[in-house]
Amino acid sequence: MATDLTAEPRPGEPTMRWTSRATTIDGIERELAKIWAVTDLTTEVDGVEERHIAARTSVMNLVVVARQPELGEHCAAIISQLTGRHPSRTLICSPTDPDGPSWLDARITAHCMLPRSDAAETCAETIYVIAGGDTGRHIAAIVEPLLVHDLPVTVWWPGEPPLGSVQARDLFENADRLVIDGSSWTGDGLGRLAELARLVDTGQLAVFDFALARQSRWREAIASTFDMPDLLPYLRSIRRIAVTYGTHDELGRPGTTNMIKPLYHVAWIASRLGMTVLKPLSALGAPAAAASHLHATHAAHAAHAAGKHAGVKPLAGRGYAATMRLGQGEVGVVMRPVITGMPAGTTLRVELLAERRGSELRIDVTAEAETVAVHAWQDGVELLDRRFLAARRTEIDLLAEAIEAPRRDIVSDGAIRMAARIVAARPTEGEA
Amino acid sequence: MEPASADGAPASPPAGRPVRDVPRTIRDLRLARDGKRKAAPSKLDNPLREGLRLERVPDPASLVLFGATGDLAHRKVVPALYQLWRTNLLPHEFMLVAVGRRAYDDLTFQAEIGKTLESYSRVPVETGPKAEFLSRITYHQGDFADPDAFDRLSVRLDAIDEERGTRGNRLFYLATQSSAFTEVIAQLGRVGLDHETHGGGWRRIVIEKPFGRDLDSAIRLNREVLKVFREKQVYRIDHYLGKETVRNLLVFRFGNGIFEPLWNRRYVDHVQITVAESLGIENRGAFYEETGASRDVLQNHLMQLLALVAMEPPATFEADALRDEKVKVLRALSPMTPDEIRSDIVRGQYGPGWVAAQQVPGYRAEPEVDPASETETFVAARFEIDDWRWAGVPFYVRTGKRLPKRSSEIAIQFRPVPHRLFKDSSEDPEPNLLALRIQPDEGILLRFGAKVPGLGLDVRAVNMDFTYGSAFNVDSPDAYETLILDALLGDASLFTRADEVEEAWSIVTPIIDAWIDMPAPAFPDYEAGSWGPEAADELLARDGRRWRRI
Repeated sequence: MATDLTAEPRPGEPTMRWTSRATTIDGIERELAKIWAVTDLTTEVDGVEERHIAARTSVMNLVVVARQPELGEHCAAIISQLTGRHPSRTLICSPTDPDGPSWLDARITAHCMLPRSDAAETCAETIYVIAGGDTGRHIAAIVEPLLVHDLPVTVWWPGEPPLGSVQARDLFENADRLVIDGSSWTGDGLGRLAELARLVDTGQLAVFDFALARQSRWREAIASTFDMPDLLPYLRSIRRIAVTYGTHDELGRPGTTNMIKPLYHVAWIASRLGMTVLKPLSALGAPAAAASHLHATHAAHAAHAAGKHAGVKPLAGRGYAATMRLGQGEVGVVMRPVITGMPAGTTLRVELLAERRGSELRIDVTAEAETVAVHAWQDGVELLDRRFLAARRTEIDLLAEAIEAPRRDIVSDGAIRMAARIVAARPTEGEA
Repeated sequence: MEPASADGAPASPPAGRPVRDVPRTIRDLRLARDGKRKAAPSKLDNPLREGLRLERVPDPASLVLFGATGDLAHRKVVPALYQLWRTNLLPHEFMLVAVGRRAYDDLTFQAEIGKTLESYSRVPVETGPKAEFLSRITYHQGDFADPDAFDRLSVRLDAIDEERGTRGNRLFYLATQSSAFTEVIAQLGRVGLDHETHGGGWRRIVIEKPFGRDLDSAIRLNREVLKVFREKQVYRIDHYLGKETVRNLLVFRFGNGIFEPLWNRRYVDHVQITVAESLGIENRGAFYEETGASRDVLQNHLMQLLALVAMEPPATFEADALRDEKVKVLRALSPMTPDEIRSDIVRGQYGPGWVAAQQVPGYRAEPEVDPASETETFVAARFEIDDWRWAGVPFYVRTGKRLPKRSSEIAIQFRPVPHRLFKDSSEDPEPNLLALRIQPDEGILLRFGAKVPGLGLDVRAVNMDFTYGSAFNVDSPDAYETLILDALLGDASLFTRADEVEEAWSIVTPIIDAWIDMPAPAFPDYEAGSWGPEAADELLARDGRRWRRI
């Protein structure tokens, strides 16, 4: 039974205007029709009653696949904050009990936002579906009849999306954009990259990864260094990229810490510069096996990093290495874990070394509280010391950005493809 | 040594000398296309910049604010800088060097700015960001006529570069009385603060309106400015161009396929542009007596809006391409004869009345205003653009003080349908209207006819209303935030060029000159709180039209 909520709306605050339940797709459609039959969309302008046609605004369909009900509630709370900014028909699907009988329970709500006191409310619907048994296994069959036609479809799949599964493929067939968070995947997280790159390659689905979006200020900081005309030529002569990231695993074993964010730094630079992979990413062995100059230099930097970040401890000899080709030269890539109090998988430092005509450029990018700091030295002489303010972004900010992102994002597509290439022959230990 | 071209860029290499990394031959390009050889970008391009969507943070820089103790600095410039700082859009290595005559030190000036932010910031002021912002403000005392003050300023800016890492990049912002512009610019030139350095270190200057008070003075001022700075270093502000809806006008026109085909004399009946203010002259009587509505709004805001509505699509979205198109429109405005000025331009002055439930005095009773003043506080005009697209389409513009409400909008009134099809309808369908609201409630309204529900075939006009507030629910940046950030980034698209300013003056100056030769007007001729003198309504009524109710 429907409940009409007639609370006085306040400008800028989402107000629940409708809530009802249904147990079939037809029932959901009937409830959706009822919402717009009763909501008063008439407003008064200059003493004259005018009908505002665009009061129910939907700019897209947002489909959320949340495997746990609490995750679904969490996503619903985030989406309600976007009602005004990105009004959408939202479908939150929580499949459950796949081996049980088929059933479906849906809650239909409408949130409205009053942009200003004399305007029509901007309203958007949320349909929260919990489905069991076979019904829950066929998410696409639930979603498709409930989409508003002619509007783009964004699928937000928090947690661990089975990207290569039939269930996912069916759902993606009618979608325009996939939103994920690679840094939340279990293990080192690298196992899904190949499938993700395949989705990008289809050209049908734009992929937006929160993990990549969180690094945008790092990219700005690194790119700004090469805005300096004197340093730009070094970009084609990069010889080493080293990324230090945080772990909570005292032993620094491969596969225990999500490496998506650190890897994306390398993948972004490599893709923009057109590098190719000579040796894919592989776990470094014991300390004795890593006596290369590259490794020794990196160990020194990791120790330096340890000094700068209270509570971090370098794990000598652990991490990953790869070799890339840039022009005629080789680029050594090292990704090194250090013990830290920061969340595991957080990037702590990115270092670039470039050598050109006997001259050396070293760039060191670190995160300090809410800033990203860039230092650059040319032949040992400090050229640059800049800080970029980088406030931490909430999931609301990231989801808003995901929705606003262009259909084809060359940074994202390039980084995902390159990340998949870099890990191509990687052993899969530790991957969930 | 490698020869350089006139603009300082290295000249092309001598014949036969290979250019490394850049594919030039057909084979190189083919290999690059096939992925067998990577196409390296030009050395001038930073490939890491490609595709970055985050707002670019400007280079480290000092902003040198002349007139820092003045009203404009306190109300607009400093709050805009604070908001840019708060949202991480200013570089960490940023310093505001406030220049003024008053005997302040850093701490006193910072305390004053702290209070200013509480009063004028459009967002709640947060303690942490405010403290950090204030720590980046330093005060430099000096009279603009004092050469020593500029010598000291030069030394101080060098010291700031060393201590704060601002790398020699300087944005000079003239928020002073316009009478001080040439003096400050000459002093900057004298101490070499206009010189850009090889290792980076750009120098730019932002100049506030009014840019001249007639065509001659604008030409003289341009000449003085360009004696010291090159045109590409000069950013002349018209803050209307920074407003979200004005910027959106370009997106609306050139980012949508369905409107541009209608944007011409075949479908448009006429255009109305209104910039209405409910405020009076706000203790600026002396300034306004010399300015009037023509110089204050018509020459700049209204001419810019008209040019943006009427211009042809630019070839690229670059500063000069945009400004070239705007200049073409201004040049195509028919020059007015004295008779046309008498018939097509209406001036007015407000008398006492009621605005927003407050009784307000007439203009002549305002402080610092001549009791027999002939200064216009209202102007309405009918312009025609002599070009292929707009021939015969009147552009009506109006602006005034003490009108019933603050409201600016551009209305494109389309022609009526050619044939009355719904004869049973109780009224004829209204012609379509497209209104672009600039302030307040920035947005776009499209009016079209719809059938009234029921058995008959009644047609009623309905509105499809897009407001930024409801579609995005995010704050639009203030125009000053947009423009200051653009100036720091070196993007001049939203600033006016010397020839643009002079063209606008060449339209407005003959009008002002003609008024001097006319008999004294019967001022005041409109009541405060009304929509201007009756003559403004008659201006449209004689064409069978009326001003849109706003």
